[in-house]
Amino acid sequence: MIHVQGLSKSFGKVKAVQNVSFFASDGQITGLLGPNGAGKSTTLRMLYTLLKPESGTAQVDGFDVRQSPLEVQSRIGVLADARGLYPRLTSRENIRYYGRLHGLRGEALEEQINSLMLLLDMQSIADRKTEGFSTGEKLKVAIARTLVHNPKNVLLDEPTNGLDVMSTRAMRQFILRLRDEGKCVLFTSHIMQEVAALCDQIIIISRGEVSANGTPDDLRKQTGHENLEDAFVAAIGSEEGLM
Amino acid sequence: MKKILVIFQKEMLDNLRDTRSWMTGMFWALFGPLLLGGIIMLLGNTIRENVEESLVLPVSGVENAPSLIAFLEQQDVIIALAPADPEAAVIAGDINVALIIPPDYGEDFSAGETAKVQLVFDSTRQSAIADISRAQSLLEGYSEYIGLLRLSLRGISPEVMRVVQVEEVDTATPQSQALIFLSMLPYFIIFAIFNGASPVITDATAGERERGSLEPLLINPLPRGWFAIGKMLSAMPFATFNLIITLAGFAAIFRFLPMEELLGIQIGFDLGPLAAVFVICLPIVLLACAIQTLIASFAKTTKEAGTYLPFIGLIPSLPGLALAFLPVKPDLWTMLIPTFGQQILINQFLRSEPISRMNIVVSATLTILLSVVITYIAIKLYEGERIITG
Repeated sequence: MIHVQGLSKSFGKVKAVQNVSFFASDGQITGLLGPNGAGKSTTLRMLYTLLKPESGTAQVDGFDVRQSPLEVQSRIGVLADARGLYPRLTSRENIRYYGRLHGLRGEALEEQINSLMLLLDMQSIADRKTEGFSTGEKLKVAIARTLVHNPKNVLLDEPTNGLDVMSTRAMRQFILRLRDEGKCVLFTSHIMQEVAALCDQIIIISRGEVSANGTPDDLRKQTGHENLEDAFVAAIGSEEGLM
Repeated sequence: MKKILVIFQKEMLDNLRDTRSWMTGMFWALFGPLLLGGIIMLLGNTIRENVEESLVLPVSGVENAPSLIAFLEQQDVIIALAPADPEAAVIAGDINVALIIPPDYGEDFSAGETAKVQLVFDSTRQSAIADISRAQSLLEGYSEYIGLLRLSLRGISPEVMRVVQVEEVDTATPQSQALIFLSMLPYFIIFAIFNGASPVITDATAGERERGSLEPLLINPLPRGWFAIGKMLSAMPFATFNLIITLAGFAAIFRFLPMEELLGIQIGFDLGPLAAVFVICLPIVLLACAIQTLIASFAKTTKEAGTYLPFIGLIPSLPGLALAFLPVKPDLWTMLIPTFGQQILINQFLRSEPISRMNIVVSATLTILLSVVITYIAIKLYEGERIITG
């Protein structure tokens, strides 16, 4: 459960995020859609405690990102835009490191790692050093370490970026699976079809502000366009930066 | 706090697998002992040669000055035939010094006039200085000897010519000459400590940012500052390892090179003083890791960090280099300067001088204090946003 209210952040004179508010509930997929540079990643970064909001509040399961960052951090799993691995460590060691940083240990941790590897079909790369992994293989390791502590809230920043068609499909299946497990899934994308296909709730961001918010049906009604693509364009105000 | 240990363990595993990096660091630990060993062997050989061997003096025109030649031979000089072009031979480094006696020497000498000879040498060549000054003083000795004889013949007391008599009292011993070079030892020790830590720290901070693994790492639920501490701690075993390697290298040199024979001194670098120097240097390990963690955290890439860190290691070791030429007394104020105090203390151990406990405590305290301050700044840096936005 993620609750954002009046969130703002600027870098120097650039107002990256202005007065953004939304609510993402458990068991739902919420998509942040917007052109490149609209402020999606900055919003997410404030949510996962990396950047401090200038004004407004953001809460995860009722914990404020500024007041109790550690509580927030242990309740979220984040696939950030930067998803670098440790090339000299194996997949298993990469995932285990994050598990231990979350305070997991021993049998419980190893079992959790094994089940994630099974789920992501990555047993063949489990004990190989991650140096030289393909983009898809790296992503699997990154996802597994994101979920190693079984977080209730999952934040994904452009999760299908750079993936081939097959991997993108697998990724979408995986996001749906997370929802079915009752997690609160929040992800950003600049790909309209992806958001349209997956999301229960869509938040459209452009120039740092929320320009539309609702279910796909709500958006059609709000903008008066039957076609969802036209609805997006109407909400953003231009076609620039969208796919 | 257990999570600091988790970071420490991961960094250790990661860095131990990066064999090339820490092997490079270890090379710098061996660099000092090898260089100093080489210097001592060269220096020892020149000292020994000068004392033991007779001067071989190439002379051109031996037949022009039989009495001078006889005098030189009496003084244990071996007269050799000079090459056709003595100057070229000196320039080429084939001979250290050459004496040229012109054909009109005998005429002038017999007439009681000033007879000229030429001494050819290169005053900038260190290894030739002993030969040159010996040839010079022998020639002056001959000149004075004949001069005094001539004055006596004319009935003038030789004392007239001797207005001031200089008696030289040189307190330098071969030992103190050699110690000039030994004073460089602290410099190498500190250099080795810094270079042991830097590849590890570069990888753990700037490398983390470059790989794009810093951002996901910082989302894990622990205070940001702990990452700085964990990373700093993980560099300490490598720095300490380098310290041990360097000390072992120096100890081996002092043990296995015939120091007594080469320099005429015995250097007390047994297990006791060795352990003492190790303990004195431990606060520097802390400081080296703290400073480099801070600096490397500012760097965007490992390449950028790689351009800063060698300088960081150089600055605290520079006073040690200066100490080799400008001796400083172990006053309390010197102990207030981290790394400088330790360098003076190491020198004292090498010379087996009495060491004040107070100085050891003060220098260690100040160094640890500075390390704590720097670590605090690094923690603050990790807590800020700059660490992510760059």
